[in-house]
Amino acid sequence: MSEEDSSPLLRVRDLKVHFPFSRGSIFNPKHGVVRAVDGVSFDIRRGETLGLVGESGCGKSTTARAIVNLVTPTSGQVEVDGEPIAGLSDQAMLPYRRRVQMVFQDPFASLNPRMTVGRIIGEPLVVHKLAKGRDRKLEVLRLMELVGLNPRFLNRYPHEFSGGQRQRIGIARALAVQPDLILCDEPVSALDVSIQAQIINLMMDLQQRLGVAYLFIAHDLAVVRHIASRVGVMYLGRIAELASAEELYAAPKHPYTEALLSAVPVPDPVVAAQRRRIVLQGEVPSPDQYYPGCAFADRCPIRIDRCTDDRPQLTDKSHSAACWVRDPISE
Amino acid sequence: MTAPSTASAPSAASGDGPPLLSVEDLHVSFRTDDGLVRAVRGVSFDVRPGETMAIVGESGSGKSVTNLAMMGLIPRPPGQIDAGTATFRGDDLLSMSNRRLQSIRGRHVSMIFQDPMTALNPLMTIEQQLTEITRLHLGLTRQEARRRAVEMLGLVGITSPEQRLQDYPHQFSGGMRQRVMIAMALSCEPELLIADEPTTALDVTIQAQIMELLADLQERKGTAIVLITHDLGVVAGVADRVLVMYAGRIVEKADVRTLFAHPKHPYTLGLLGSLPRFDTQGEATLTAIPGGPPDMSEPIVGCSFRPRCDYAMDVCAGDDPALTPRGDVPRDQTGGLPVVHLAACHAEVSS
Repeated sequence: MSEEDSSPLLRVRDLKVHFPFSRGSIFNPKHGVVRAVDGVSFDIRRGETLGLVGESGCGKSTTARAIVNLVTPTSGQVEVDGEPIAGLSDQAMLPYRRRVQMVFQDPFASLNPRMTVGRIIGEPLVVHKLAKGRDRKLEVLRLMELVGLNPRFLNRYPHEFSGGQRQRIGIARALAVQPDLILCDEPVSALDVSIQAQIINLMMDLQQRLGVAYLFIAHDLAVVRHIASRVGVMYLGRIAELASAEELYAAPKHPYTEALLSAVPVPDPVVAAQRRRIVLQGEVPSPDQYYPGCAFADRCPIRIDRCTDDRPQLTDKSHSAACWVRDPISE
Repeated sequence: MTAPSTASAPSAASGDGPPLLSVEDLHVSFRTDDGLVRAVRGVSFDVRPGETMAIVGESGSGKSVTNLAMMGLIPRPPGQIDAGTATFRGDDLLSMSNRRLQSIRGRHVSMIFQDPMTALNPLMTIEQQLTEITRLHLGLTRQEARRRAVEMLGLVGITSPEQRLQDYPHQFSGGMRQRVMIAMALSCEPELLIADEPTTALDVTIQAQIMELLADLQERKGTAIVLITHDLGVVAGVADRVLVMYAGRIVEKADVRTLFAHPKHPYTLGLLGSLPRFDTQGEATLTAIPGGPPDMSEPIVGCSFRPRCDYAMDVCAGDDPALTPRGDVPRDQTGGLPVVHLAACHAEVSS
C-alpha cells in the first residue's frame, strides 16, 4: 500500500456489506442490521498471495463474495487495475469476471454433478467465447494436465472423483480464462491433511508458473502462514491487523491476533507443552450489534477508555494494527 | 489429557495395572452397493485408567468405526462385527446383551461427537436431556438430577446455568452446545470418555477452550479419554499415547513424544511432513503424500500404503506387515512413559 506508483491489481476500500434482518414475532418485529463486512480495505498486488484469516462469522467469505458481486456491497470501492467495478450489471461484469475467478471450499457442492469434467472445465471458455470445438478440447486437456488430473478422465462425472481431485477440477475451471486473480474461499479446509498438502503445493506451483495472484481465505492459520506473503486478520467484519506473513506471525501487534495465534495447536508435543495460551473472555459477539469503537474492546485484555467509542483504523504502514494501544499512530 | 511433561503425567504413566479397555483383533465390515467394505481390519489396543489415547487417521481410516463398533452403535445391517473382543472392566462389550450395554453406555463409557446436534435432541430442553441420563443411570430424584445438571453446566463453563436449563439446543452457540454435550457425557462420571473429533467444527479459540476443559475435567475426575481426530496439532497438545490408523489398520503406535520425534511408519512421516507449521520457518514445499487412500471395497493385498509409499519394496506387495517393536527411545524423552513403539512396516524408516 505504501508504493502508490505500482498500482495494485485489486484495490478494496472501505467495503461494507450489511444485511438487514427482522426477527421476533410478526406483531413485535425487531429490525436490525448484521454488519457482516464493515469497512474493509486492502490491496492485492500482481502475483502475490494475500491471506485472510479469522473465525466463523468474521466476514472473510462475504468479503470475497462482495468483491465478485456474488453479494452486493452496501458501500465501498472495489477496483481492478484502477477500474471501479462495485455495482456493475452482470453484463458489464463479464470482462471483469474473466480476470477474477473463484475457488470454493466444498468441492462437492461447487461442481455440477450432471456435467462431465471436460464440460465443467471448458464452460468458462464458452461463456467468455475464448475457444471452440477442437481448440476448446485441447485447452481443457492442457488445463487438466496443468492441475495434475489424468486427461483420460475427461468424460467422467464429479462423483467419480475424490475430494482432492475435485478441488483440482475447481482450480482448472478457475484457470481456464487465465485470470489475474483467484479468490480462494477455504480451498483446502474440506480435505484430509495429506491431500491438503498436495493442493497447497499445486496452488503455489501454479502461482510460480502463471503469475496468478490469490486472495486465500482460511481459518487455518498454519496453512495461511505457509502460502501467503501478506496476511489480514479479520474480526467482526473488520481487519484487525494487516502485515507481511513473517511479521504477523513473529510479532503480532493486535491483541486479537495474539490470542488467535496462541490458540492454534502446534503439531509438536515438546513445543505444545511449553506454550501459554491467551484466554479470551467470552465468545465472538453477534455482528448485529453496532460498535462505535473497536469491535474487540469487550474482550480485550489491554483496552483503554478510548477503545469503546473511538474506532481505530489501519494505516498504510506495511505492518498495521487497528489498535489504540499497540499501534497508536493509527490516528 | 495432561501434557506429557507436567507433574500430573504419572496418572497416565501408571500403566502397570490392568487396562480399563482392551480391544483385541477387531474386524468390522459394511455391506454396500459397491461390495463388502472392510472398514476395520484387525485393530488391537489398550486404554489405561486416566490416560489420553489419541487415534489419528484420515477420512475412511476406520478410526470412528472402531469406536462405534465397540459401543454397539454401528447399524447392523449393513454393518457387521466379523471378529474381535472389546473388554471393558472384564466384560466383552461386543458380545454382551443390548441391555447390559445400555447400562454401561453413558454410565461408565460416554461419547461426544463432532456435531453436538447429533447427540442433543432439538425438541427437548437442556434440563430434560441432562436429567434423563442421571435419573436413569444413577437413580437420582428429579430435584437431585436438576441440581446435578446445574452443577455440570457450571463445571463446563456455562454462565447462569439455572436459567439456561430451560433453553433448547438451538439457543446455544456451537461451542456452547459442545459444552452441553460434554456436561451430559460426564454427568455420570464415566471411567472412559470417547471423544470423536470433539473440536473439529469449532474455531481455534473455542477449540482451545474445549480441549482445556476436557483436560481439566480429566485431571479432577481421572477419566480416561480416547480422542479420535485427524488433527495432529490437537494430538500433540493433549495425548499421552497415539495410534495412527490407515485403511482400517493400526500402522503405528507410540507415546506422543516418540511418535512426533521418531515416526517409524512412512504414513506417519508423510502426515507430519504434510503439515504446514506457523511457529517455525517451514520448508517451501510440503512433502505431500502422493495419491489417495485405497478403495476399501477392493480386497487389499500386501501393505495398504504401498502405492503411496517412498519406501515400498517387493516384499510389501505380497506381505502385509504386522506391528513390530521399533528403536529405543530414552525414557527422559518420553516424559517418563514406558516406551512401546510399534510400526507396521517392512522398511527401516528414519526421520
